[in-house]
Amino acid sequence: MQWDLNSEKPVYLQLVEQIQAGIISGKYRPGDKLPSVREMAAQAMVNPNTMQRAMSELERDGLVYANRTAGRFITSDEELIRQLKKRYITRIISEFLEKMEQLGLNHDEIVSLIDEVSENKGV
Amino acid sequence: MSAILECRSLTKKFGSVTALNNINLTLERGKIVGLLGPNGSGKTTLIKLINGLLVPTSGTLYVAGMAPGVESKKIVSYLPERTYLPDWLKVSQAIEFFRDFYEDFDPNKAYDMLRRLNLDPDRRLKTLSKGTKEKIQLILVMSRNADLYCLDEPIGGVDPAARDYILNTIISNYNDNATIIISTHLISDIENILDEAIFIKDGNLYLHSSVDDIREKEGKSIDSLFREVFRC
Amino acid sequence: MLKKLLKNEIYATGRILLPIYGITLILSLVNRILIDINRHNAILNIIGSIMMFSYVTAIIATIIVTFILIILRFYRNLMTDEGYLMFTLPVKPLQLINSKLISSILWFIVSIIVTISSLIILLLNAERAGLIREGWNLIFGTFKEYFGDNYYLLIFEAVLASIISVIQQILLIYASIAVGHLFTGHKVLGAFASYIAISIAAQIFTSIVMVIIAYFPGSTVEELETQFETLPHMVMLLIIGLGVLFSAAYYITTNYIFSKKLNLE
Repeated sequence: MQWDLNSEKPVYLQLVEQIQAGIISGKYRPGDKLPSVREMAAQAMVNPNTMQRAMSELERDGLVYANRTAGRFITSDEELIRQLKKRYITRIISEFLEKMEQLGLNHDEIVSLIDEVSENKGV
Repeated sequence: MSAILECRSLTKKFGSVTALNNINLTLERGKIVGLLGPNGSGKTTLIKLINGLLVPTSGTLYVAGMAPGVESKKIVSYLPERTYLPDWLKVSQAIEFFRDFYEDFDPNKAYDMLRRLNLDPDRRLKTLSKGTKEKIQLILVMSRNADLYCLDEPIGGVDPAARDYILNTIISNYNDNATIIISTHLISDIENILDEAIFIKDGNLYLHSSVDDIREKEGKSIDSLFREVFRC
Repeated sequence: MLKKLLKNEIYATGRILLPIYGITLILSLVNRILIDINRHNAILNIIGSIMMFSYVTAIIATIIVTFILIILRFYRNLMTDEGYLMFTLPVKPLQLINSKLISSILWFIVSIIVTISSLIILLLNAERAGLIREGWNLIFGTFKEYFGDNYYLLIFEAVLASIISVIQQILLIYASIAVGHLFTGHKVLGAFASYIAISIAAQIFTSIVMVIIAYFPGSTVEELETQFETLPHMVMLLIIGLGVLFSAAYYITTNYIFSKKLNLE
């Protein structure tokens, strides 16, 4: 897991976001077992307290659950993950649409541009 | 008593020079704390006071409720900025030395870390590079189950790979009953592992706050804030 | 803790001294053999000379290196970078001082034993042993004559005085190093200056004590002559007393500086 942490935002928030991104992209699959807090902290080169805080946040959101003896796991709740994915994608699209509006494009122009660029990319 | 360090009106003067002025500071257990400031700001003086290498001019300093002395030295593990092991020692002899004098020293941990560095314990320290000697000292210090670790410039003058190794060692040996004080002026490298930051400016305590608070309130990194506060 | 410090101390200094002592003893044996062999051979003569030269060098080294090491070890282990290690060990400063003092006394005694042993190896034969025995008896006879039947008490006091004198000298060196440490930036120079200053102060103090005793009732020449038998003892006791006093002063000074005035660079 590659961690990309900047120094402007609180670290635990960045950890939460990047784990969420990992869940969405499938890097963390539902039901996957997570390494110990200490191992993850060492990998990410962050304070174990901070990683613990991130884990607590994720547990509160239900994305991660802790089994007292077996450790921490990614949730198997596919619906929850789908919702997370949808929220994430929705946010990206909103930001995109805002930017396009600022450039003065209307809805049809946006759609045809998307088709054009997709074709060139082979998506 | 959960506070591992308590300084009250702590002052240290060398003749007419005031190295530390009226420091009031409390550190809780289980934190990784950055002691940050430019060279000559008083960081090393504070660390020496904690370790009993200096005596306060006025004010008090308590480590786990004790004044610095034989008992406090049993629970404080100190990594100074310099090589303090005799050059003619073999690595294995250095480990034996620590085992002899420190009850909380875990030789297995030390040998384990040495193995991962592919270091032959039979080698004499004088045959090793400066960087390797520093890593060995770090290993010795972190192999103790101390209540307070004082690391003075652990990553200064060391290549980036070694820096990662050192930070990794610090994080892996963290336990939430102990506090680690890292004194450094290389802030961006260690920001992410700090719980709290202390700024020392001209011998005065300028700031003591959690790192998250600083980032949220100031909206910038500790490194940026540092550059602002200590602008020449 | 003291035992551990002592063990560490003896190992650290012994690794340098024992080889030198060993070489000295071996060379004395080699030279003894070479002397006893009939040296008609020119080559053997040359080798013999080289060996004798080496031997003399070794004996000198034994004494000088022991002396220098006592000083250097104290300075290097406590006042330079190694001091960061030693003074953060969970031990009291006086344990650090004690371990070095005991180790120094030990090596001093060993160096003397080695020197005497090597001379014995080199020179002793039946004829010379006889001479020594005669000389010994002569000395002891003279002692008995002059100092009465308690002459062995006096010898004991003399030995005690010598030992205390050695301890005093070592502690003087330690105290000079400690006082020199107080001079930021010129610690070595400070140590030398302190050595001279403290020695002079000690001399002055001793002289004052002598003067006071001279005016003590009961010490005119006539009165002294009647106490002829006790006089040597009193002199010895005075020397021992002053030795103990100075040793204590040096020790306390060193301990105080290490406990309250330490400032490693």
